[in-house]
Amino acid sequence: MSNMEKYTKAFCQAFEIDEETAKKLKFQDIPAWDSVGHMGLVAQLEEAFDIMLEPDDIVDLSSFEKGQEILAKYDITF
Amino acid sequence: MIDYSPMNIKIWSRLGSCGAFGQAALFLPEINDKVVMLTADLCTFSGLDRFKLKYPDYLFNFGIAEQNMVGVAGGFAKEGFVPFATTYATFASMRCADQIKVNMGYMNLPIKLVGLTAGLSVGVLGATHMSLEDVAVMRSVPNVVILSPADCTATIKATIAAAQIDAPVYLRLSGTMNNPIVYKEDFDFEIGKAITLKEGKDVAIIAIGSMVYNSLKAAEILEQNGVSAKVVDMHTIKPLDKEAIQDVLKNKLIVTVEEHSIVGGLGSAVAEELALLKQRPPHLIIGVNGAYPHAASYPYLLDQAGLTPEKIASKIENTYKEIC
Amino acid sequence: MDKEILKQMRIDLLKMALSAGAQGAHMGGSLSLVEIMAVLYLDVMKFNLQNMKDEARDRLIMSKGHGVMAQYAALKQVGVLSEEDILTYKANDSKVAAHPSLNEQLGIEFSSGSLGQGLSLGVGTALALKRKNNLSSRVFVVLGDGECDEGSVWEAAASASHFGLNNLVAIVDKNGLQYDGDTKVVLSMENMAEKWAAFGWNVKEVNGHDVEALHEALTEKSSKPLVIVAKTVKGKGISFMENNPQWHNGVVSQKLFEQAVAELEAGND
Repeated sequence: MSNMEKYTKAFCQAFEIDEETAKKLKFQDIPAWDSVGHMGLVAQLEEAFDIMLEPDDIVDLSSFEKGQEILAKYDITF
Repeated sequence: MIDYSPMNIKIWSRLGSCGAFGQAALFLPEINDKVVMLTADLCTFSGLDRFKLKYPDYLFNFGIAEQNMVGVAGGFAKEGFVPFATTYATFASMRCADQIKVNMGYMNLPIKLVGLTAGLSVGVLGATHMSLEDVAVMRSVPNVVILSPADCTATIKATIAAAQIDAPVYLRLSGTMNNPIVYKEDFDFEIGKAITLKEGKDVAIIAIGSMVYNSLKAAEILEQNGVSAKVVDMHTIKPLDKEAIQDVLKNKLIVTVEEHSIVGGLGSAVAEELALLKQRPPHLIIGVNGAYPHAASYPYLLDQAGLTPEKIASKIENTYKEIC
Repeated sequence: MDKEILKQMRIDLLKMALSAGAQGAHMGGSLSLVEIMAVLYLDVMKFNLQNMKDEARDRLIMSKGHGVMAQYAALKQVGVLSEEDILTYKANDSKVAAHPSLNEQLGIEFSSGSLGQGLSLGVGTALALKRKNNLSSRVFVVLGDGECDEGSVWEAAASASHFGLNNLVAIVDKNGLQYDGDTKVVLSMENMAEKWAAFGWNVKEVNGHDVEALHEALTEKSSKPLVIVAKTVKGKGISFMENNPQWHNGVVSQKLFEQAVAELEAGND
């Protein structure tokens, strides 16, 4: 599975949404992406890429797009 | 009904004890329709935003008026409800002490008082928000069951157990977001029954809440230095598991570790149990000692208080070598 | 209301105080409550003598715990307590204790004695009744005016109006005296009625010894929580106790007992 596939799947599983929705998603766009859902997403990403996100990065993770920038810091390229 | 999958356990750990409590709360109305959730301007902080959306009629916010909240909980309890009341542990236990005495102690009303951020976890806000006395206060009030879960999965279990027992309960939540995981899978949580997490013959470490994980880590360090350490999660501080205390009498040193004052907490509870025994191992009480620390970050405060795995291990090792 | 009943209740207070002997009794703040308790138990409140735990009952909370002798006297009038019972007032292990001790058989809903807590219990009870869809029972909370010094009373007052508790009625026994003397001197809570109104309550000011006025106020329909500010006389009915702070808690000797009973029997009101 490519990094993009893994990344998208993490969003889909965290919020129970389809890929189309995932790719445009921003924090609090849907009820599932609340503060609890946010930690669910963090846990899914950490599991998928075997990383541990820094607290600042968790706070900055505000959209599907932003997440890719953040993961680049962990040597994950898309 | 609750899925103790590795992913959920990871998510609860990420959320921290307050968030995990809020996740447990979502299951409560299905378990017992008489549950009501009371808070003192800490709905969001208690992880109850989803609960509020799902069960708006079950949630009552009393504003920054904790004493009233505990009194109202008494009224609900008397009418057959199972009221949970949430606020910071220090305000829950100390500001409302007289309401706790009369409602939970004297009248034995089954209020479930939830103390958030017990210990030093919000110590950056200063001593007003640290809760180092709550166990001492609550332990002195008759009838109150005191629970101190070791991690977020245990927090889920303890919350549900609190709802199911017909007794007043103080639920002491410690640690912060990204709480270390002690229980990696589903396990049996029974009020009053301690859990031995690791066997060991020299030292027996009895710990509560956040200090269970640190004690496990300390035990690993001790093993490397040739000291075998047993670790017990005493998640129920009251009533204390007397059998578990009997079990540690064969060790050469008993150690209690708590993110609480060394006065009146777990250490005192265990010492009271040991006091009359003619033959028993010495008992080292590790906790916060002395004046209130100045405002600082949680890791810094734990280090200053000697509550990191390294400092716990070194204190135990020194004491063990000195007197055993 | 038969004046004989009110007289009998006051004589019962004296009997309880005499039984308590040198331990003393809270005469002043109980005598001020006699008409209020009589109107509640003999006129306004719903309860089932065969089952004091009946869900359909009205709930009475004596937040002003030291006034409980007046409640015992009323419970005797309705037949829940006997003459024998009330003579055990303040005896060791008596159910007729100096402060109310939770006893569902007697309809004593909560233990009290630590002032300032009963209105919160009342708010919780009133919210619970609404959640149970019991929309007919009402909750009465009896407070002292001195008790209103406690901040927790006002936390509860704010929450009662916030939650729209039209099933909650507070009665303030405004006898104007507390332990250390005149409430206006110790800690003025004037204007009491305006304070409650500012907290969102429907306020009725009445003469707390006028049974007609009490009946009218306590049966009034209200869309908001209702407070009756009852102007009373501490020690009401016994001349040497009236408005005398020493009778907040005092010892009734045989001689004083006879003097007081004679005065009540003479019926000089």
